[in-house]
Amino acid sequence: MPTTSTSWLNSYCTNYDNDELYLPQRGLKPYWKKLFNGFEKLGASGLMARQKDIDWLLSENGVTYNVYNDPKGMHRPWNLNLIPFLLHEKEWQTVEAGLKQRAELLNLVMKDVYGDRNLIKNGIIPHEVIYGHRGFLRQCAGITYNTDKHLSMYAADLSRGTDGRLWVVNDRTEAPSGMGYALENRSTASRILPEMYSRMNVKRISGFFYELNQLLVDASPGKKENPNIVILTPGSHNETYFEHAYLASFLGYPLVQGNDLVVRDGFLWMKSLQGLKQVDVVLRRVDDVYADPLELREDSQLGVAGLLDVVRRKNVSVINPVSSGVLENPGLMPFMQAIAKYFLNEQLILPQIASWWCGQEREKNYVLQNLSQLVVKRIDRTNRESIHFGEFMSTLQLENLRNEIQLRPYRFVAQERINFSTAPNLVKDTIEPRNLVTRAFCIASGENYSVMPGGLVRVAPDRKTIRVSNQRGGTSKDLWILEDSPIKDDYSRVWQKRSNASMSGLNDLPSLTAENLYWAGRYVGRTLVNARFIRMVMQQMALMQNREEAPDAVKLQVLFKAVTHLTDTYPGFVDKTKKGRRAMENPYEEMLSVILDKERTGSLAHTIEMFSNAYYSIRNLWSSDMWRVFENIQKLWYSFAEGQDRSINRILKVLNQLITRLIAFMGLIEESIMVQQGLLLYFIGLQLEQSMLTITKCRSLLTIKYDEQVEYDLLEYLLKSHESLNIYRYSYRSYIRLEHVLDLVMLDLEYPRSLTFMLNRLEKDIARLPRSKSNNHVSAYQKYVFDAFSKLRLAESSTLSGTTTDTDVVREELDSLLAKLSDLLYKTSQSITSTYFNHTDKQKQLVIQSFPI
Amino acid sequence: MIFNVTHTTKYEYNAPVSYCHNIATLRPRELPGQQLLDYSIKISPQPAELSERVDFFGNYITRFSIQTEHKLLKVRTDSKILRDYSKYHESFHSPACKDVTLNGAREVMKGMDPDVLEAKQYILESIFIKRTGENIRNYAELSFNENRSVFDASYELMQRIYTDFQFVPGFTSISTPIWEVMEEKKGVCQDFAQIAIACVRSVGLPARYVSGYIETLPPEGEDKLVGADASHAWFSVFIAGFGWVDFDPTNNQIPSDQHLVVGWGRDYYDVPPLKGVVYGSGKSKLKVAVDIVPAV
Repeated sequence: MPTTSTSWLNSYCTNYDNDELYLPQRGLKPYWKKLFNGFEKLGASGLMARQKDIDWLLSENGVTYNVYNDPKGMHRPWNLNLIPFLLHEKEWQTVEAGLKQRAELLNLVMKDVYGDRNLIKNGIIPHEVIYGHRGFLRQCAGITYNTDKHLSMYAADLSRGTDGRLWVVNDRTEAPSGMGYALENRSTASRILPEMYSRMNVKRISGFFYELNQLLVDASPGKKENPNIVILTPGSHNETYFEHAYLASFLGYPLVQGNDLVVRDGFLWMKSLQGLKQVDVVLRRVDDVYADPLELREDSQLGVAGLLDVVRRKNVSVINPVSSGVLENPGLMPFMQAIAKYFLNEQLILPQIASWWCGQEREKNYVLQNLSQLVVKRIDRTNRESIHFGEFMSTLQLENLRNEIQLRPYRFVAQERINFSTAPNLVKDTIEPRNLVTRAFCIASGENYSVMPGGLVRVAPDRKTIRVSNQRGGTSKDLWILEDSPIKDDYSRVWQKRSNASMSGLNDLPSLTAENLYWAGRYVGRTLVNARFIRMVMQQMALMQNREEAPDAVKLQVLFKAVTHLTDTYPGFVDKTKKGRRAMENPYEEMLSVILDKERTGSLAHTIEMFSNAYYSIRNLWSSDMWRVFENIQKLWYSFAEGQDRSINRILKVLNQLITRLIAFMGLIEESIMVQQGLLLYFIGLQLEQSMLTITKCRSLLTIKYDEQVEYDLLEYLLKSHESLNIYRYSYRSYIRLEHVLDLVMLDLEYPRSLTFMLNRLEKDIARLPRSKSNNHVSAYQKYVFDAFSKLRLAESSTLSGTTTDTDVVREELDSLLAKLSDLLYKTSQSITSTYFNHTDKQKQLVIQSFPI
Repeated sequence: MIFNVTHTTKYEYNAPVSYCHNIATLRPRELPGQQLLDYSIKISPQPAELSERVDFFGNYITRFSIQTEHKLLKVRTDSKILRDYSKYHESFHSPACKDVTLNGAREVMKGMDPDVLEAKQYILESIFIKRTGENIRNYAELSFNENRSVFDASYELMQRIYTDFQFVPGFTSISTPIWEVMEEKKGVCQDFAQIAIACVRSVGLPARYVSGYIETLPPEGEDKLVGADASHAWFSVFIAGFGWVDFDPTNNQIPSDQHLVVGWGRDYYDVPPLKGVVYGSGKSKLKVAVDIVPAV
């Protein structure tokens, strides 16, 4: 149990003989000593404070990692431990050379197995290792690519073995994740530990991202100078969605989903607001088999039908090419040495984890006899669910595994279980050793490969755990590659200007993003208007004697019914349920449901959820301030929904806070997103929604004639929920009268909350949409809005407020105007949707089938 | 014999389809005993683009996209095929073929001859024929044993499937798993072919799926009905050291001149006549008609 000489480290003790701090002869590595000398000055409380800063910064920036079926919900915050992982440049040089060699070897394997298959013909690798791997896509055999290297990106998981060397544990070739997290970790760590970062002479990683950008640009067919590049994500539910969005905004390329792309005439196109725009390069984060439902997995909704054919014609480059998954293959490990000799006549530079492929008799027997000490994997399933750790398995489980191996031995590889090294990790106020794995990244750069001088380090969640994986809730570290002399700053800022200008502007906005912005606007408008109305209703309820009985007062009945109309939660207060129950009998219960039942479409909870979904899926457009306010809204609502307190006071308080935060959020949106980025779509959605709800409000409160006193109260309610009572008093200084209310809420051209004002603005906004601009005719949605606007301009409040005869109960003029307006706005929404977000054509299979490939 | 084969596939949609991408495996391939004299494919509406290539297994694949809105998709191929396969039948009964035992075949399969290497992939699991259990292996071992001729065993397997399984159209679909067909012992030609393939693979030998047509002969004295012929499927076994031999378990015979090959693969998945991705909101109705007429 070694201890260290510096006092801060006195408490650091490790039971493992393999710790990063020590040299094999038990001496403390000098650069770790240097780091801890620096930490000495901060002291325990200083370190904890810095760690807090990191946690805060990551949560501020909305860095998340999604865990499928996680009881804590999606979007789990990303963790970064304050203490970086250190490697000296000298050692890193070997790693770098080893990774380059390995990337090149895998590249050659890829070319070979999809080409002449000489490796198999010459007996270098057994055919089952390739043919028996589900990632071997026969559809992709014989394809030639625009890039010299077929494997453009490669990642390897490294761990230090007991021999003191760094070993390759896993190869990642399909759509390696982690680069974005590594970049985010670096930006956070260098901000929180600026003095250490500069004193330790840490190699910069931004040059690597410059090369990544260059790789994408150079991959374009015909070597275009300004190719159109997109990043293809499976969507916001993917575990590493944060990273996709982060890279998209860092590199300045549109983030798209399969739905945004389409194959026509042998080319790949992006559906943008203006129309189709040709795409040259796709950086994809969708797995191989999901990339093309025509030729690969038929039931995939994440890819683009016909994509492989466009690749075959060399009209688009996909990075990495679809089919690279076959290289994520521990079955190759035992043969890598022979492959290196065959292709390069070299020895492997980096050692790899000892592996036995069960397709060979002798190896299989060894594995079967030593199963309880080994780690068994399928050659084509290396995710954690498919890994068997012999030491943790019962006799029965071992027996089952043994049978499975014997049935199809070629599918299995067994690997040695080793104690990988530990490194210091800050845990509360102490420093404890933890196992770790480093993911290193490599990209093609001209005829060679480049290695990121850094990486993503993942740390086991507790002392005992050896398995390291993000999904198990461990933390991460920044990897610092240290030089002996101070670092000169690099060209990090310079190149970003260069990134292409041709993809910006409203015309090129992917239509799915546009649609999300539009709905974001609609949902934020809906949440705000409904929250205000419900708040006003709850204020009235606070005055009620008995809230769990049907109200006698007509005004309250009208008010409750308006809630149902506004939130579209029928039957609600309007009618009885199928079981014959009437919500009016117990208004409090119904109001709680309208507020809190997120399963109920139209409820406030449901609307907030829809609003969150729309926002989350366009998060690459956000600023960090927006994220913070958004998080605040989420937290507020979550703690209310989870809590027990359902008192009116509590509800009113929550609604007040919700409304304030929503308004802050709306303000931020307007200043953080540019019109060209799609803010226009957000405004259109917002104005349209607010207009529609204003119409509904007026219809449910004003079109029926009641007693004078009831009418007076209803008018006051309307103004209150519309946040217009003060303005009314200021403008009219009189008793509240229907005519004046109509003038203010509906007909005023200057007042921003009036319907006329909103439609006027809507008319101007939609005129700026790309397909509104043809000279001689206006598009359908423009006609509807124009029609609605003119109807309002021609209306007179004196006519609207009257009835045909004195005995009539319904204000026919007002009601019919509102009905027409409502219809026109509905058509506007339909027309905008079909013109710009045409996702109504569902992708279907000619012959329905869904088979895992 | 020379045959004129017309294969028409129609998809009728109840709502318009705005565009579609399709892949067809319809052009018959050539092999010893079968020559393609003439071939054409007609598609309506007119595809915006169409291309043909040879796939991993050597089959012809036609890819096309239609970009005009349509409610009816019609694909018709006309193939003129010279089939002269019966001349090979005798060789199946020669010692070179008949004397290969299961043990002997397994030994040869360990080798690295190009033929053997090519055939090896047909031993492994495939998309539709995977995770087959003991019942398949037990069923296979009733015919296959170490010192028995592979040809004889395969022939018997074909006969047993013909006898044990009931031909029931509509009982299965392409997504019916193999174990269910095995349990129910009902299905159509492609199920029988796949059961046989699963059996052969379970004893460690290569077997592949052959897709094609069969000319049906009307009962004596009756006229042949138009469209009565059909797409058909059977299986082929690699008899190591000799070559591939086809067996048709649906008709209990070794394919002869009435069997016309379109393509082959590991199972049905590799050679579907027509598949595609369609963009539209409606449902579709499928009609297929095959006519095989001996050319005069």
